[in-house]
Amino acid sequence: MADFSNVDLNFAYLLFDGMQKDNLGYIYRGHFDQNITDNILLLTESNLEKEEQSSKVRKRIYSIMVEGLQNITRHQEDSEEASHEYFGIFVIQKKEDKYYITTGNVADNANIDTLKRLLEKINSLEKDALKDYYKEVLEEGSLSNKGGAGLGLIDMARKSGNKLIYDFVDVNEKYSYFYLQTVPTLTEGESLDDSNEALKNIMGIHKVLNEASVRLIFNGLFNQESLLNLLATIKGQITGSESVKNKVFYLIVEMLQNIIKHGTNIVPDSSGNPGLFLIGEKEGHYIITTGNYILNTKIEKLRTKIDCINELNEEELDKYYIKSLFNFEIDDSKESGLGIIDLRIKSGNKLHYTFHEVNNAVSFYTLQTYILIK
Amino acid sequence: MEALLIEATEDSPKIALDAANNLFQISGRSLPENAIGFYQPVFDWLQNYLQSPNTESVFEFQLEYFNTASAKQIAKILLFLEKLSIKSDVIVKWYYKQDDVDMLASGQRYAKLINVKFEVLEN
Repeated sequence: MADFSNVDLNFAYLLFDGMQKDNLGYIYRGHFDQNITDNILLLTESNLEKEEQSSKVRKRIYSIMVEGLQNITRHQEDSEEASHEYFGIFVIQKKEDKYYITTGNVADNANIDTLKRLLEKINSLEKDALKDYYKEVLEEGSLSNKGGAGLGLIDMARKSGNKLIYDFVDVNEKYSYFYLQTVPTLTEGESLDDSNEALKNIMGIHKVLNEASVRLIFNGLFNQESLLNLLATIKGQITGSESVKNKVFYLIVEMLQNIIKHGTNIVPDSSGNPGLFLIGEKEGHYIITTGNYILNTKIEKLRTKIDCINELNEEELDKYYIKSLFNFEIDDSKESGLGIIDLRIKSGNKLHYTFHEVNNAVSFYTLQTYILIK
Repeated sequence: MEALLIEATEDSPKIALDAANNLFQISGRSLPENAIGFYQPVFDWLQNYLQSPNTESVFEFQLEYFNTASAKQIAKILLFLEKLSIKSDVIVKWYYKQDDVDMLASGQRYAKLINVKFEVLEN
């Protein structure tokens, strides 16, 4: 059996902190298909509505996302081997009232020069010239045998009203990562400083995610709605037998509802508790990690409870589960603990946790479970 | 007695409690944010039904998934059925999908703990 108990869980807090600072909400890394794409679009749409963006702005962001996601879907097939390091990445973030939409996918090194020339050309053209160029390419028909990747990029530039930000990173002698960032103008006449700082940050995070084999990371406010969206997104990504899929589903629900119920907030916000959710794959296991703020006054009790549950054998766990199941006295209180026992039973492994003190009132609580994929 | 019909949502099950048609079903996913609140109408209905139940009451649980908060509410419902079984012939049918070992195990666990006729069935 793989032993992950030595893995330093502090990376979760570092990721959380880094993502919070740059308002990075949602990063998906993995294989992209229609189901995933639809869910990402749905999730973003509901967020944009919550942020009360006008339908014009929503439409603009939406259409750029569709192009970007199609770009990944189309080009991920370039990499024949379905190796982890070839997974695409998708990120959307809101920073200083601007939305940053970033995609990353592998590109064949043989195509990079053409791609660079195309991007340079697109960025050199102003609004009307870009429109003409779009028509020109459209009439020429096939700039790319992949069905108009060139058109997609021109279209994104036109819709965004800003220059495309891009970068390449070597993967191996055959492939590179192609990162593309679009920052749509939301009000007429504004322009973007041509800093690629936000992109560099994401490229750094992508590296960490690659190293930790993280498939999906969600940082934001947790509530029932974001939980359901996440579940829908994850569903298509879990491989393995039905029984493993079900177990992963159970673990995720309990861990996320744990944040919703027991987490706390540094700034009062009734719409949810801030937290982090990660799912990754390592050595034949799914690794599920959650992080959230917790009041320092609650730590000792929780630590004692988890340590106690970790020491129980199967039979004792079952007894404890039943005892908690029928304890309706503490139904309304937040201390029933049934969820933690269930996590321990369902995962079949000890729970791994850490507390990182943030200030003298709260700490960041990271909880990790792992389950054999088989 | 009026039937209790609640349609399923993304995070809550379908409830059909219908004494006239002798139908008692809970089916689907149960992971509501507030499980206690969600199941309150069920207990209210059962409390009423207990006054003059049918001679036989077959309760069917056909759940795809439930969270631990719902697990407690289900335990509470089953305990209530124990009480009901004094006045009515209660049979609990607990369905699980093939390969869903967790749903099977949950059924078996409840069956052991609850003192009514309890069948765990594959569907």
